Amino acid sequence: MSDPPRQLRSDPPMEDLKRERDAFIQQFFRRGAQISEELLGELEKLRDQIDALEAENARLKAHVASDDAIRKLLTKIRELEAEKEELIAKTGRSSPTPDDFSDRFAEVENELANLGTLHVAGIQLHTGTTVRRALRNIKELCAQFVGASQFVVYLATDDGSSLVPISVDGLSQKEAREVSVEDHVGKAFMSGKIMWDEHGDPSQGSIHKPAAVIPISLSGHKMGAIAIFKTLPQKTSFVGVDYELFKLLAAQAGPALVHARLFEDAGRRVPGVQSFIDQED
Amino acid sequence: MAEYSCLIVEDSPMMRQLLVFALARVKGLRVTEADDGVDGLRKLASNKYDIIITDINMPIMDGLKLVKRVRSDPVHKDTPIIIITTEGSQEDRQRALQLNANAYITKPIQAPQVIAKVKELLKIE
Repeated sequence: MSDPPRQLRSDPPMEDLKRERDAFIQQFFRRGAQISEELLGELEKLRDQIDALEAENARLKAHVASDDAIRKLLTKIRELEAEKEELIAKTGRSSPTPDDFSDRFAEVENELANLGTLHVAGIQLHTGTTVRRALRNIKELCAQFVGASQFVVYLATDDGSSLVPISVDGLSQKEAREVSVEDHVGKAFMSGKIMWDEHGDPSQGSIHKPAAVIPISLSGHKMGAIAIFKTLPQKTSFVGVDYELFKLLAAQAGPALVHARLFEDAGRRVPGVQSFIDQED
Repeated sequence: MAEYSCLIVEDSPMMRQLLVFALARVKGLRVTEADDGVDGLRKLASNKYDIIITDINMPIMDGLKLVKRVRSDPVHKDTPIIIITTEGSQEDRQRALQLNANAYITKPIQAPQVIAKVKELLKIE
């Protein structure tokens, strides 16, 4: 009988080695675990650092952005300041000051007053339905509106060689004599032009040096003249509205007198409708 | 609605019209016209006026007599009066002011001057 095959077996480890091996393995794993823990800790720290850096980065970005915004705002402020200065300068140049307004207001008020004077004079001049009343209106206009203190209304004789006083104010009849067309008054009558001294003092005028002479006419027919020899002491100069009143008298005094004369001659009767029919152009 | 009333006593229709035209520029002022001093007194007897404007030279009753009568009227003794004078002499002005007229205007009148005086006496801004 043969012997059973012998099995090859290693020798069982020796106890020392076994212990050594186990210790090594344990140490190995402990060390591995320790290293892993350390690595995890480092990783955590790095993550924190990354977070911190990201936060810092974001903060710096925001700071830069806000600095840009501030710079932009400052630029905008400078632009607006410049614009404001320009507008103020423009406003100063173009806007009227309170003084300008009050001057303009006074100017407009004066213009209105002048127009009012002419309006009233124009209406009143034609309210006279008698020659006496028409003459009174002319005299009132000269005295009250122009401020004349010595004046005469002259009408030309039929042959036109002299002027006859028909209304006298502030002078004696002797002073207001009939005058020839060679006289100061006559010359203005002949020329058909208003004569007045724009720069002189009308309160210093005289019978020999009239302050103003206003020729009066009707439809180109020379009728006479109004001579203002002198004005009231306080009326020391003629102004624009006076010249307008002279023009009004030159154009309207004649028609007012003639209409009043004709109306009186017609027995103060208004012509019937028949006299107005078929009179259109 | 009129806030103030004014009586104009003036014999010249042309002057009255000019004054009426001028005073139309004063807002809230109602204007009444009288032909002379007597007509003026008649109107003063029937109405209370806030201001009176009167010419000095008028027929029937002149402006100075009117001022005297107005100052003795209990209703109008304190009513402001503006006198219109033709003369620019100091004497005439003093005469008017001695009779307790409040102001005077010399002819030829200027509408802005009348408006300013009326506003001043009525204390209108």
